[in-house]
Amino acid sequence: MNAHTIPRRHFLQSAVTGSLLFPGILQQLMADSTDPLAPKNPPLPAKAKRVIFLFMTGGVSHVDSFDPKPTLTRDHGKEIKADHPEIKGRPGYERIYLKRPQWEFSPRGKSGIEVSDLFPHMASCADELTLIRSMHTSHSNHYNATLGMHTGSFAFARPSIGSWVSYGLGTINKNLPSFVVIAPKQTYAGGQVFASDFLPGSHQGTLVIPGPEPVANVARRIPSDLQSRELDALRSLNQAHLQTRNADPLLEARLRTFETAFGMQMAVPDAFNLQEETDRTHEDYGLARGQTTGFGWQCLAARRLLERGVRFVELIDSGSSGNWDAHGDMMTHGPLAKNVDQPIAALLRDLKQRGMLEDTLVVWTTEFGRTPFNNTAEAKGREHHPWAFSSWLAGAGVKPGTVHGATDEHGMRASVDPVHVHDFHATILHLLGFDHEKLTYRHAGRDYRLTDVEGHVVKEILA
Amino acid sequence: MRFPFRSLASLCLLASLQPAASANEDFAFFESKIRPLLVEHCFDCHSGSKTKGGLSLDSKAGWSKGGDSGPALLPGDPDQSLLIKAVRYTDEDSAMPPKKKGGKLPDSKIALLEQWVKMGAPDPRVASAKIGGMNAVEAKTWWAFQPLPKTSAPSAPASASAQIDAFLNARIQSESLQPSAPADKRTLLRRATYDLTGLPPSPQEADAFLADSSPDAFTKVVDRLLASPQYGVQWGRHWLDVVRYADTAGENTDRPLIHAWRYRNWVFDALNKDLPYNEFIRFQIAGDLERASAQRAQLNEGIIATGYLAIARRFGHEISKDVHLMHEDLIDNLGKTFLGMTLACARCHDHKYDPISAADYYSLYGIFQSTRFSYPGCEASGKPRDMLPLIAKSEADALMKPWLQKRAQEDALRTKLASAGKTLKKSFTEETALLAAAPIAEGASVAFEQSQKTALDQITVRKGEVLLLTVSPNKNHGADSTLVEWTIRDTTSPERVWSVSDLVSSLTESNPHPGAQDAAWCFLSITKDGPVFLHQKATSVNGHSDIQKWSIGDIPSVFVNSSDQQLMVWTTLPARSFLIHPGPNQPVAVAWVSPMDGTIRVQGRVADAHPSKGDGVAFELQHLRTLGTGTALLELGRNLQIPEAGPAPSIPWAYAVAEAPPVNARLQLRGEPEKPGDEIPRRWLGIFGGQPLSKPTESGRRELGGWISSHPVAARVMTNRIWQWHFGNGIVRSPNDFGSRGEKPSHPELLEFLASEFVASGYSIKAMHRLIMQSAAYQRSSDTSESLLQKDPENRLLARFSRRRLAAEELRDSLLSVSGQLDLSPGEVHPFPPEDEWKFTQHSPFNAVYEHTKRSAFLMTQRQRRHPFLSLFDGADPNSSTAQRQTTTVPPQALFFLNNPFLHKQAAAFASTLTTIPDDPSRLRRAFRTLFQREPSAPELHHATTFLASYRTSPEDAWNAYSRILLAGNEFSHLD
Repeated sequence: MNAHTIPRRHFLQSAVTGSLLFPGILQQLMADSTDPLAPKNPPLPAKAKRVIFLFMTGGVSHVDSFDPKPTLTRDHGKEIKADHPEIKGRPGYERIYLKRPQWEFSPRGKSGIEVSDLFPHMASCADELTLIRSMHTSHSNHYNATLGMHTGSFAFARPSIGSWVSYGLGTINKNLPSFVVIAPKQTYAGGQVFASDFLPGSHQGTLVIPGPEPVANVARRIPSDLQSRELDALRSLNQAHLQTRNADPLLEARLRTFETAFGMQMAVPDAFNLQEETDRTHEDYGLARGQTTGFGWQCLAARRLLERGVRFVELIDSGSSGNWDAHGDMMTHGPLAKNVDQPIAALLRDLKQRGMLEDTLVVWTTEFGRTPFNNTAEAKGREHHPWAFSSWLAGAGVKPGTVHGATDEHGMRASVDPVHVHDFHATILHLLGFDHEKLTYRHAGRDYRLTDVEGHVVKEILA
Repeated sequence: MRFPFRSLASLCLLASLQPAASANEDFAFFESKIRPLLVEHCFDCHSGSKTKGGLSLDSKAGWSKGGDSGPALLPGDPDQSLLIKAVRYTDEDSAMPPKKKGGKLPDSKIALLEQWVKMGAPDPRVASAKIGGMNAVEAKTWWAFQPLPKTSAPSAPASASAQIDAFLNARIQSESLQPSAPADKRTLLRRATYDLTGLPPSPQEADAFLADSSPDAFTKVVDRLLASPQYGVQWGRHWLDVVRYADTAGENTDRPLIHAWRYRNWVFDALNKDLPYNEFIRFQIAGDLERASAQRAQLNEGIIATGYLAIARRFGHEISKDVHLMHEDLIDNLGKTFLGMTLACARCHDHKYDPISAADYYSLYGIFQSTRFSYPGCEASGKPRDMLPLIAKSEADALMKPWLQKRAQEDALRTKLASAGKTLKKSFTEETALLAAAPIAEGASVAFEQSQKTALDQITVRKGEVLLLTVSPNKNHGADSTLVEWTIRDTTSPERVWSVSDLVSSLTESNPHPGAQDAAWCFLSITKDGPVFLHQKATSVNGHSDIQKWSIGDIPSVFVNSSDQQLMVWTTLPARSFLIHPGPNQPVAVAWVSPMDGTIRVQGRVADAHPSKGDGVAFELQHLRTLGTGTALLELGRNLQIPEAGPAPSIPWAYAVAEAPPVNARLQLRGEPEKPGDEIPRRWLGIFGGQPLSKPTESGRRELGGWISSHPVAARVMTNRIWQWHFGNGIVRSPNDFGSRGEKPSHPELLEFLASEFVASGYSIKAMHRLIMQSAAYQRSSDTSESLLQKDPENRLLARFSRRRLAAEELRDSLLSVSGQLDLSPGEVHPFPPEDEWKFTQHSPFNAVYEHTKRSAFLMTQRQRRHPFLSLFDGADPNSSTAQRQTTTVPPQALFFLNNPFLHKQAAAFASTLTTIPDDPSRLRRAFRTLFQREPSAPELHHATTFLASYRTSPEDAWNAYSRILLAGNEFSHLD
């Protein structure tokens, strides 16, 4: 039957299976117009080729971590005007009082950026960070703010930033998805935070749940040699089917996906096989050998995915409960920080040492900050605060060891060079070589974009 | 200086204002100084379709009307002009141009603007007449809005189908293309069966069709398929895509909509009985009103149909706060679904391209504001409500009333008990005398006498006082089974004796438990709010009917071993023993209520009955001396025995809408509800005539349903959808957008003809199927020549049929069908957790996947989390209207065929259907006939038998493997 195979298809298969022999041809094949994940060059010069997006769920307190406020300490207990959206009309919150930070700040590294003791390891990387202290957002609910930080939309389902990047850049490694999300638990707004929505489904984030079998349907249910035989038989069957029909890119593309899937069964476990990493690396990331959970695992797995050509990796640290949402007690930030602090610092050093930080953009953020006040000065927790929070970028295309923007003396409002979530998104896309106003998709008669009708690139932080 | 004596108008101007000579000069000033300035600094945000703050500066009318804060200029008075204030940077909030657009203008330019305003702001620019975002002339002649050609009666089916082909062939011929040959009968049957039912034809159906050489053989097939109840499921699913049907509300906790399924099933039924499309529309918008005076069954149908409106997505934490977003979702869907119009674009401002004004949007908004929607509940405000009962109100009331009364009694009682508990708390802590107390070490036993704090042989009691024995976990750690012996004697008449051993045979009879000679016993949990009765009774524990207990949950409890034998359970329970098991932090107490005034003697002991576990317990024996404590305690206990109301009576409910007090909406400036503008009367869209409501006392839904269903654009939009669902693409390839941003029809005459036929047939969807499926175009082969492929790669001319992959539901249903596992009965309600147990929050939203073997259209569809299978194979997004499914081809789909347990299970089930057949070739023939409705070719047979023979494990494994191959093959999941 093989004798009847039309030459192009035959060629195509051998090229895919023997990809190492024909790199040039492989490139060509992957640029096939039927493949939405074919690698594409961005329209503008780009510093960043890939992104790792670290998302801290629940709202990290800026005044306890990256935004030092000595005046807030000085004015502890002082009553302020209760005009905050989060507490409007809430019984017991008719009067509010400033509340001092719970962690000490000190200048770090050559840059002297002040970071608190909440994040001692990240603090030791201060010279790598481009810290934005003037972030602000449009909603004070977790659900909406989380959706906004991921999709630019604070109410409606829209494509996630990772999906936009996948849509814009495609993928370099066909055996792995272009956009991977590693999250231990379901977060606010559910699957919408990594959904492709109206973008083609191939740009959907592939969810990896830390554990022994991180990606669905990858584990073989039958031995590899038998499966190869089945695939051979399937190929013959499909070829017989194709032979009696005109060449059809749809059918051919589907045929190819089986070759890729076969490869994924090896590539995916390989990417997640941390056994290959040295003891030293394990130690750096705070990982025990054989451990398959925890943020250290997430960070190291992420680095391995990036090395293998994945465009956008998002790491979410916790789920919709047991997270940074410290209403009751700020001290719950402690263990959450401990979970992420060392691994993130290790990731930054690891990327730098491997030369990957030059073309990888690392993003660290949360959905909103926490109030510098509460209804008593002795209250242990803080409430949701959309007016100001801190995020940082590091790596490709941003100025290391700098601080952009500032909040007012109490950390209440982003008062100097405010950066809205839309601006943040515009800047990330810019670093990847996209004009955020031009990376659009026509849907239901309208050209949609990540930044809706807003967004300005924060030029000041560009290297 | 010249006098422009050109018109009377300019004469008037001259007379009333100022010398004409200067008017011309003024305009010249505007042209040379002001226009360039506006263009350079303001037009980025305030011209054309961009009207930030609602302000347009590209015409005189624009600034006269002004933006959200009113007119931008007061001619003659710069100081009172908002625009001048803005450019002066007087107030930071309104300072213009903003910093990001270059910041404050140089003083010279500000001076020019001031001078211009002082001159009276001369401005010759006239805005062209527009409706919404479209030129008025263009809007009124827009193709999609025009009346349809008059057709008095529907054409005969054969001639109508021929007419379809005539339109298509004309284009094909003009492009000098050769249409493909007719598809073979097998292909045609497979195509039509999937098309109309979403399922594969059976081998018998294939045989029958192949054997039928009569000229109307295919007509008979179409009739058979249209009569199948599975038709409604398949075409209903198309409809559910468009109306973004979901079984959850979509707000921050994504709550289940328990009753939404009735609307889903109504859609399937309506299609099965070919409800005329105009009625289908009217029902979904106002079925309750259309059927207001009908019999119950018909009325119910009408109510259920309005589920279309009720399933509008809800938003946020407190959904009534974000109700404007629900209205947007609804108006957006209504516009796209029925009219092919993007109405929601006019929420914040007039539509930028189409003839829809913001006032149009808010005129519809008022109609829905005058409507009461079933309320799904949300995290901030509680329980679902406002469902519509599907039995008469009197019937529902009769069912509900006793229950509601019981509930009210129960609630009142609960309040009473809570306050009684609080009162008792006082008498449990004040005026008490400690008689004995001791910690009990691991495995130890302590007699009251050993730990007495006062003499135990002469205690004076009064009637109604209480002796209380409390056992607590030691060191606040866990708890243990604790053995209790306790006897109370009247010192003056030794025959009056009370003992907990008396309770062993009858413990669970009641709590409070009667004691001898009018005494009483109570079994209590001691909480921080006072004593609480252990109210849950178990007459057997761990399968032992000899163990009985009173408890709250598992523990705390009071229990007995009533057997004459010791029992080996979690520990050894002595024969006929009385025991207490406190919970962590939850002491348990036994109270004895005195029936007498006199003196008593108390004896007993407390022992750890479960050594080597936990760290022991502690006990206290107290005398509660507040008068009336015992009486109050007994009162509290007896009231507990009033039966609970139990679950609500089962009343059939619909998640639907009803009329609410009629109200006009106010325009929301920039789409923000906090910025109300003018009141907008409820009415029909301006471009379609803007008719006011004839009955403003109604919400307006009834009239809206009438206006929409009788408008020609509705017929065009639906005709196009039907065509698209048959051919893969519409005549208009933007099925939800027939406006200026949508695509124009590829065959305008064909669309006009079909839409007219649709109307003439009485809006019969089934008639459209017959018409379209009888056309040669529908029956063409998908195979074609290279030249045709090159000239028309997208198949816009339909010279061939477009091959397609099975949709997600078709694929799953086919897998279940060929494996013999498919249950064709309709699904109803989903197995959601009971409503009174819901504790969904945004921190822990509703989240479930319910598997079954019914058709996939009955799978539970969640808004926040997609069903994994449907999402993998491009199922509809229930968050917004899906007019057309995508077909992505990605490796994770192939991984499904390689490794997914569901696929493996169906393949094995399919293989097992073949086991009764003796030999491999016969089995293969059956397999090919079931899956592909054809015989295997000789090479295929050869190849398959070779594979089976060479598969080295068992024949069963080999057949499972080959079944997987057949199911994974392109032929199974594609239609030619």
